[in-house]
Amino acid sequence: MSPDRSTLLLADDDPTIADSLAPFLERAGFHVLVVSDGVSAFEKAQAHHPELIILDVLMPRMDGRETLRRLRKANIWTPTILLTQVGEASERALALEEGADDYLNKPFDPHELLARIRAVLRRVRPGQRSLSAAWLLTAADLSLDRRARRATLAGATIELTPKALSVLEYLMTHPDEAVTRERLLEAVWGWEYPAGTRTVDTRMAELRRALDDDPAEPRFIETIPGEGYRFIAPVHGEG
Amino acid sequence: MFKKGWGSLLLIFLPFAAGIIAFILIIVYSGSISPFLLTADFGFLAFVFGVTIRNLGVIVLGLGMLLTLFLGLFYYRTLRQQEQTQMLLSEAEREAELGRRRFLRRLDHEIKNPLTGLRAALVNMQEAQAGEDQARAVGNAEHAVERLTRLLTDLRKLSDLGERPIELAPVDVPDLLQDVVEAAHVLPAYGGREVNLLIPKVPSPFPMIIGDRDLLVLAVYNLVENALKFTYPTDSVEIRVGEDGRAILIEVADSGVGIPPEDVSKIFEELYRGSNARSTEGSGLGLALVNRIIGLHDGQINVRSSQEEPRGTVFTIRLPGGKKGLTRLTPV
Repeated sequence: MSPDRSTLLLADDDPTIADSLAPFLERAGFHVLVVSDGVSAFEKAQAHHPELIILDVLMPRMDGRETLRRLRKANIWTPTILLTQVGEASERALALEEGADDYLNKPFDPHELLARIRAVLRRVRPGQRSLSAAWLLTAADLSLDRRARRATLAGATIELTPKALSVLEYLMTHPDEAVTRERLLEAVWGWEYPAGTRTVDTRMAELRRALDDDPAEPRFIETIPGEGYRFIAPVHGEG
Repeated sequence: MFKKGWGSLLLIFLPFAAGIIAFILIIVYSGSISPFLLTADFGFLAFVFGVTIRNLGVIVLGLGMLLTLFLGLFYYRTLRQQEQTQMLLSEAEREAELGRRRFLRRLDHEIKNPLTGLRAALVNMQEAQAGEDQARAVGNAEHAVERLTRLLTDLRKLSDLGERPIELAPVDVPDLLQDVVEAAHVLPAYGGREVNLLIPKVPSPFPMIIGDRDLLVLAVYNLVENALKFTYPTDSVEIRVGEDGRAILIEVADSGVGIPPEDVSKIFEELYRGSNARSTEGSGLGLALVNRIIGLHDGQINVRSSQEEPRGTVFTIRLPGGKKGLTRLTPV
């Protein structure tokens, strides 16, 4: 293992997936440790201090969610990607409790996983609790209470549809990151939609109206032409 | 107790009238003539007779017989209701089991084909020399994976639709339809075709409906995609919207091949493929999804189709909405 290569811990009980993903990620320049259950993942994470953990949800001995909860309880804040879908509100709250840094739905394109890994590694500050695990997010005079599902601007509650609120949540937990419309669709809507880009743009317009954010001179959300959006204000997490 | 003439008249008339009433009651409540009818008649007769001769024993006997009637009637009715419920339940269970088997059989078929393609492509990848043949094998493998992914995605959508609540907010239908037409442009089946969108100018603005915009886009899009798949480049596809004060009507019409009459009643079933749709690609869940989405909006969907001239298919979605809906509901 060369010192400049980031170490990834990949936990998936399906040997076909692990055997195919590991060489792919190695080729992409990472050092990959592979385990096939939650207990081994927990032990390896403590022993080897990987830079990032990829956890499948359904695994023998201890499932991915429980593994992540235990890691966080043990104050191990290694950035983690869960291989699952976050759909419903209850699921979302659960995900928040787990403190995963990102989610990816199976089946996924390995290139998408690579993009997620790189984005998470760029975003996280080593050893620190990530924004994904914070209950309250603030950026300037905007704050988002993720438990109460309420956003306030300069102290006043802003009216948002649940989808727009989830879009804001995703952007605020991924600040300074170019988020594509496709990524937003997958993370917030859970499915691909026809007219998907228009769907995202409609919600973004709603969000900007509510935040009183001028797309030409944005305070919060910047449009990246041909790519997607970026939350540009610095975000602080609490709780 | 009674005057002599009235008394004897009552003695004859009342048991007779009671018998008829009991007879009607039994027919209405139990659905059949039961032995209790006789008890009722005798009971009432004994009661009236007892009252006439002022004999307490006979009165009690009559009342007892009447009570027996009512208890018997109650018991008989409960028993019948239980039987009927049991029958309906086992019928529903049988139907569900049949549906489940049918679904699994169809799923097996839907997975079998892309998987066979994938296996063949893998063999070709191993055996073919690097170059055109191998590139084709990779292309075929990717195509098979895409088909399986689409099937899985649609299955997930169907199961999600039953579980997550839909978002309710005012929806601008003409704007929604415009999005659908734009999204359909990129479909391979679109070709150089015209999809006509007809939106009435009056009333203006067009009444809003309350619903989940994203899901409604998906529903209409699936109909338009189907229309494009089952038409030739020379055919027309039309999306129309109208309102009748109580509901918004969205129609997706085409002059395509039409649906065989024997398939019309089944096309909204999960994974059902009509006899002329077997060679056309799709997950087989598109119309089931449309049906589920419209149902979640308390709407209805109907289809009219003809394979003879003037041939074509018209899907009509009816969604509750219009003026009343707008004043009643506010954005979530």
